[in-house]
Amino acid sequence: MNAKKPHLIVNELYKTFEVNNKRVTILKDINFALNKGQFLSIVGHSGCGKSTLLKIIAGLEGYEKGTVKVNGKKVVKSGLDRLMVFQDHRLFPWMKIKDNITIGLRGYSKSQKDDIAYKYLRMVNLKGFENAYPGQLSGGMSQRAAIARALINRPEILLLDEPFGALDALTRIQMQEEIMNIWQTQKTTMILVTHDIEEAIYLGERVIVMSSRPGTIGMKLNVDIAKDRASQEFAYYKSQIYGYFFKHEKKRR
Amino acid sequence: MPELLLPPPGKVIAKFIEELAKGRLQGDIGVSLRRVVSGYFLAAAFGIIMGVVMGMWQLFDKFFTLTFTAIRQIPMMAWVPLLIMWFGIGEESKVAVIFLAAYFPILMNTLNGIKRTDPKLLEVGRMFNIGTLRMFLNIYLPSALPHIFVGLKLGLSISWMAVVGAEMIAASSGIGFRLNDARSLMQFPIVFSGMIAIALVGVFMDWILTFISRLATPWAASK
Repeated sequence: MNAKKPHLIVNELYKTFEVNNKRVTILKDINFALNKGQFLSIVGHSGCGKSTLLKIIAGLEGYEKGTVKVNGKKVVKSGLDRLMVFQDHRLFPWMKIKDNITIGLRGYSKSQKDDIAYKYLRMVNLKGFENAYPGQLSGGMSQRAAIARALINRPEILLLDEPFGALDALTRIQMQEEIMNIWQTQKTTMILVTHDIEEAIYLGERVIVMSSRPGTIGMKLNVDIAKDRASQEFAYYKSQIYGYFFKHEKKRR
Repeated sequence: MPELLLPPPGKVIAKFIEELAKGRLQGDIGVSLRRVVSGYFLAAAFGIIMGVVMGMWQLFDKFFTLTFTAIRQIPMMAWVPLLIMWFGIGEESKVAVIFLAAYFPILMNTLNGIKRTDPKLLEVGRMFNIGTLRMFLNIYLPSALPHIFVGLKLGLSISWMAVVGAEMIAASSGIGFRLNDARSLMQFPIVFSGMIAIALVGVFMDWILTFISRLATPWAASK
């Protein structure tokens, strides 16, 4: 594969939904490209279409205009190369954790699946919970299992849809560290959708700021900086994004 | 109330024990139970299959819903004359009444359970491309199981009612026949002991189903 060629290309993407017999534009003229192994954060208000964008890339949602290409191939359906982690963990309550996370694996025996499950559960610090049901896990633990369920299939692109939004502040910071570690060791291309500006800058190498109704790209930033929340650079990017939102809000009023 | 019409509890219990000792009560219940079991299992099998098919494919749902809703309005006893014409007064007509009585609650609850499967979980299934069979086995079915068991329990109690009703109209054996026979002979303690037996068997069958449903949904207990 040509290393220069972008891993993911989103080109002039439009998406509309029908709401009460009216066509509403959700995404308008979305353009960006991502290289293999990059980490992109997308920040925006809730309802700005950022989750829809992830679903389109995952192949769970169609689109009217434009193109979405992964490795030069147009996205037409879902595939194990692009997996999503949702805000709500969406584990199957009737399956043990090890069975939940191996749902996507094919061509392995039961014991092989168990072995792989143990390996990935160790990776997300859930060792010992193989045989638990999701109802017995806390929110943070469930979300870790959901991350393992995606990673176990070795996806090329991991799509994180506000995965820490429902967690308490301390757990969230811990999970951000873990995602950072996973990204550095697995070299997976990652797209994180969030409304937490700090989280977006902390995790992303690049940040896309979206404005809502219709969802368009408002600002693109390269934040390839040392990941130190107390640094001046960090504060600079934070103020840039805050500044954008404030300006935008005023214009809307 | 004259004692003839409302016998004292002591007398009823004595009769109940006497009937048990004679073995007639068990015999009557056994005959009815056999009818219930065959009609009920048929209803469970067809009801669950049809409910799943209608729940998973909208086309079938749209096609059958109106018909089934219409048929459901007909009281089960109203079927008895027709079924006797079709199947005679033998075992088949009773099994058919039970089937009709149990089929719809099982079907409707299964359908409801399948339809109420969380679309977010179905989306996860689609994301992992797990295919229709595993969508059913890993998502739709476990999600619908509690509803299916509600239908199975409801169907069981209704089929028990149906068999007694059908036997009272046209039968020469079974607990429903015994009740009607005892009534015509003015043997009211037998009527009461028969009713008690029906209630006890009903409770017992409900327990069995509750037990099976616990075994079938181990995750529900771990919450």
